[in-house]
Amino acid sequence: MNNLHLVKRSGNTLVRRIVCYIVAIIISMGIGAILLSVLGINPVSYYKDMLTIGLIGNRYAYKSVEGFLKVFVPLLMVSLALALSFKMRFWNIGGEGEFLVGAMCAAAVAFNFGSLPTAALIPLMCLAAIISSGLIGLAVAFLKCRFNTNETLITLMINYIVLYGVKYFGETKADWNFFLRDDSARPIFAKFPENAEMPGIHIGAFNLLYSVIFTLILTVIIYVYLKYTKQGYEIAVVGDSSDTARYAGIKVKRVTLRTMFLSASLIGLAGAFSASASATVSSSMTNSVGWTGIVVAWLSKLSIPGIFVASILISILQYGCQAASTSYPAIDRNYADLLQGIILFAVLVSDFTVTFKIVKRKEDASK
Amino acid sequence: MTDSLSVLTLFFFSIVVYSIPLLYGTVGEIMIEKSGSLNLGVEGTMAIGAVLGYIVGCRADSLFVGMMIAFISSALVGALFSFLTVTLQANQNVTGLTITTFGVALYYFIGNGLGNDWPQMGSAPRMVNSFSDMEIPLLSDIPGIGKIFFSHNIMVYIAVGIAVLCWIYLNTTTLGLELRAIGENPGAADSMGINIPLMKYIHIMVGSGIMGLGGLYMGLNMGGTFEGSNCWINGYGWISIALVIFVNWNPAMAVVGTFVFGFFNTLRVYSGSLASTFPGLLGWLGNIPAQFFSALPFIITLLILVVDSMRKNKKSGQPAAIGLNYYREDR
Amino acid sequence: MADGEYAIELRGISKTFGSIKANRNINLNLKKGEILALLGENGSGKTTLMNMLSGIYAPDSGSIFVDGKKVSISSPEDSVRLGIGMVHQHFKLVEAFSCADNIWAGVLNKGILLKKDRYKEVEDFAAKFGFTVDAKKQVSLMSVSEKQTLEILKVLYNGARVIILDEPTAVLTIQETRKLFDVLRKMKEQGHSIIIITHKLNEVMEISDRVAVLRKGEYIDTVKTSETDEKKLTELMVGHKVDLNIERGELRKTTPLLEIRDLTIRGDEGSIAVEGLNFYIRGGEMLGVAGIAGSGQKELCEAIAGLRPVEKGSIVHKGKNIAGLSPKTIFAQGIAFSFIPEDRLGMGLAPSLSIVDNVILKKYKKGKGPFVDRKTGRKEAAAIVKDYEVVTPSIDTPVRRLSGGNVQKVLLGREINSSPNVIVTAYAVRGLDIHSSYMVYDILNEQKKKGVGILFVGEDLDVMMALCDKIMVMCHGRLMGVVHAAKTNKEELGLMMTGALDLTSKSGKTAGIASDSALTMEEWERGPEPAEEVDDDE
Repeated sequence: MNNLHLVKRSGNTLVRRIVCYIVAIIISMGIGAILLSVLGINPVSYYKDMLTIGLIGNRYAYKSVEGFLKVFVPLLMVSLALALSFKMRFWNIGGEGEFLVGAMCAAAVAFNFGSLPTAALIPLMCLAAIISSGLIGLAVAFLKCRFNTNETLITLMINYIVLYGVKYFGETKADWNFFLRDDSARPIFAKFPENAEMPGIHIGAFNLLYSVIFTLILTVIIYVYLKYTKQGYEIAVVGDSSDTARYAGIKVKRVTLRTMFLSASLIGLAGAFSASASATVSSSMTNSVGWTGIVVAWLSKLSIPGIFVASILISILQYGCQAASTSYPAIDRNYADLLQGIILFAVLVSDFTVTFKIVKRKEDASK
Repeated sequence: MTDSLSVLTLFFFSIVVYSIPLLYGTVGEIMIEKSGSLNLGVEGTMAIGAVLGYIVGCRADSLFVGMMIAFISSALVGALFSFLTVTLQANQNVTGLTITTFGVALYYFIGNGLGNDWPQMGSAPRMVNSFSDMEIPLLSDIPGIGKIFFSHNIMVYIAVGIAVLCWIYLNTTTLGLELRAIGENPGAADSMGINIPLMKYIHIMVGSGIMGLGGLYMGLNMGGTFEGSNCWINGYGWISIALVIFVNWNPAMAVVGTFVFGFFNTLRVYSGSLASTFPGLLGWLGNIPAQFFSALPFIITLLILVVDSMRKNKKSGQPAAIGLNYYREDR
Repeated sequence: MADGEYAIELRGISKTFGSIKANRNINLNLKKGEILALLGENGSGKTTLMNMLSGIYAPDSGSIFVDGKKVSISSPEDSVRLGIGMVHQHFKLVEAFSCADNIWAGVLNKGILLKKDRYKEVEDFAAKFGFTVDAKKQVSLMSVSEKQTLEILKVLYNGARVIILDEPTAVLTIQETRKLFDVLRKMKEQGHSIIIITHKLNEVMEISDRVAVLRKGEYIDTVKTSETDEKKLTELMVGHKVDLNIERGELRKTTPLLEIRDLTIRGDEGSIAVEGLNFYIRGGEMLGVAGIAGSGQKELCEAIAGLRPVEKGSIVHKGKNIAGLSPKTIFAQGIAFSFIPEDRLGMGLAPSLSIVDNVILKKYKKGKGPFVDRKTGRKEAAAIVKDYEVVTPSIDTPVRRLSGGNVQKVLLGREINSSPNVIVTAYAVRGLDIHSSYMVYDILNEQKKKGVGILFVGEDLDVMMALCDKIMVMCHGRLMGVVHAAKTNKEELGLMMTGALDLTSKSGKTAGIASDSALTMEEWERGPEPAEEVDDDE
């Protein structure tokens, strides 16, 4: 009975990994299909609607692309930012909070300096987001460096403190509260002034936002940063062995502080982009990107190209469900979460088959 | 005066009501963390136990059946967590977060899927009856205290009972000793002949099951109505994770700790009525935003984490090997 | 002696880790009531084989017989049930538990409730074997030998009849080792069967009845201890005749290169780890540092390398004080550092990174611009792999995947490539087989010939007596004396290591201070000038 045991695989496993992940996704979609059938929905046509994210047979297909990008861009950016800190073995799970702080600070700038021209206002909003979120990251890193405070739990707490802070601004009607609409008796977050909306390049009817272009450029920059620069090398060494890093003359604390500032500020920037693109803020605007980003970064094994692909897949799922809900009102975006959960479980299982192999034990080997 | 007294009594009575789901969640998570696993999936585990326990309980019109189903279904979620992290060595943070996403989504999926078939609590009179408050003879007659502590529904007492039992289990039994050994140093525990996977599976499943009961309690407490926008658990799972730190991984302390956290939560709801009842003494309460009370548990936990890490020579109840997977043949 | 002659019999055991064959078709038997020494070079598969008896690993093939009955051991629990207990080299203890709880957690069939009298029970049990223990003492407060005692007690308490000890003497003083051997003999008298893993030949000769020898994962032979000698055992172990004598490099000493005066350093817990230490190294000289594990050697090395703050005193290198400067500055002065920690990969190397990335570790900042220059790094890595015969699939392989000896070669290669004038090396041959060890000695001797001053922190006194020019002995962070390696003996060193012999106040002059110091008396009193700090930012 105990003749099976585990052995770690050696050598290159990339191809095996990709194949296993694809199989995992197919199996999960199968389980999802069964769930759909239980509700009396034809899974084939539903999946068709979902996977095409409303591109086919739609006169306003460009709208679908824009919608997809609104999901994809924040997820990509947050996952990239988290990968920076994870590479350093620093468990920043405060993506939700850092995202919201960035968005709110950008909003504060937008509401107070709405008269500035777009070319000045948007960078200013981004700067506010970068600095405010970055400072949170810096504070967490400081506590970790100074007192070895558990960063996982600290950032977890920050998420909720920030969330309730945002709710406070969103639910408190007062003269000083510039976040809310003046013309409504109920507290509602106001729309940004026009100058604070993210501009873009018009390709026909399609509006390619600058934030999208910038994020794609940033992806390449982060890839190069981690792989080829001295600072990226420092992150890898610190993550691997901080004793060795100190010995090599790397100032571990400085690298930790710097990287966490970068990580958090990029997440804040994603928040600012997202706020500017939708021209408003809300307490649910993160769309759980802080959580999903962790999963994306981890499952991609912190590889930047991997994160890029995984972000696309998850975004198709998320936005696809939204798009499909027009024809299937009974299925809302929670189905995407459900399917995402199942896929992740399946991928975790297949991850195992990539890392380990099961070997049968031989009895009484002769020779 | 009798009016203000009744406001106070009601206030403290409500603290108990609000703190009980936290107690279930916290004690469950302590059992899991003592085995060396950090399960961030409390929210999702509670949600699944809540929705399945509630629906089956209503259909069977029995609180007992509801509790059994809540426990079993959440324990199965725990089994999934164990399978992934213990058997398959998956990362605990990622697995936990996935369970939360999945669990909450399943809650909505079932709720939306049932639509008008969603069972109303009124359709299960016997279950409602079992869940109603009952007065413990003699004890409930004590003025003030009696109403506050001794006239609750059965699940309140079960929660306290479980917490005390878990404390006894961890500190005075041999199995409890073995469990703590795993959480502190799995390599050592393994060489002692302790079956680590078995122990982890059992305790993660039992811990998750306990969480499921907390989820069911929340659902029943909210009158069993399904809202498409708000999950019953509503962040209580996350507060439970914070509470584990607050009570220093001690199930007996959890009774006190959840009461403190429940206090803030209740204050959020009652700050208005307290302020108007005692305008002189507590009038200032009315000026504090409700969101502050909601955030308070997290703020306190954050401060505890920071202060605790600043202290030297600490004696913490935190298992030394928490969050790390154990693979015997690793080298 | 009931059924059968053998307590344990292994037949055809094999075990593979990835591509490494740790054990190949091993046959071994342990007689009842004997002490069997398991001898082999490092990497010969001793620990792996024993871990299969204790259920940590499962064999890929082969069978195990206990008391003549075929058994399957797939977990430590099975092993405990069969009466096999193992004392691991790295203790398996729960730091937060008391002595009694550590024992108790591993007891089978102990009932449901924790007994209140378990402390007394453990103390009484210990007394039966001549141990005195404080059953309520927490493991985190115990000394190394106390921990080992606890490990042995744990095994005995569980009723083990077969006891395996993995390099038990590695962390003990000579006196403590004697005590341990007395205990082992007593256990043998009571009918226990014992396997002791070691690679110290003198100990094998002293304690064992029979010796089983493994070589490169294969079983070679089992011989009676009384019918063999150290020379024959060495032959069995390494397969061919080796010169047991280590060559001492020719001594051509120059002026003091590194002078340490009145050095006081704090350890991790804030207690004094090194106190008022004086010593010096000349160019072209190798100074050995002997001492029981944890006598301040690690802290001393770290302080010289700039990894640990100096509480008091000075470290003078070529007339300039380097105490308290950054590791980078100190490295730039030509002081190389290779510290091999117990887990081999802790310090000096980043295990998940490739050989290339480890080779460039200290010079990645060189060159302008924000990018790392990996081109020269690749060339250098390839050169190290070739020159030092590093066995690796490629220079892009993560260091973690290499075997211990190869890891050390990479580390030493990198350090020596930086052409240092002082080499601080701690446990340079820890865990290396004889072949690799000799290679390391040769490398160091070559450096010595070039006029490099070498601080050699070691474990094996025989090696240090043969290799070094002088040996400095430390005990509890204090200098016990500096002796000429060729003129001393192990007994003297052992006494100094335990603090029983203090040579520092023997002659009139203060020990450890060079008569021809690089600084004059006034300069010392004024406090030596610090060396110039290297700017960290390009």
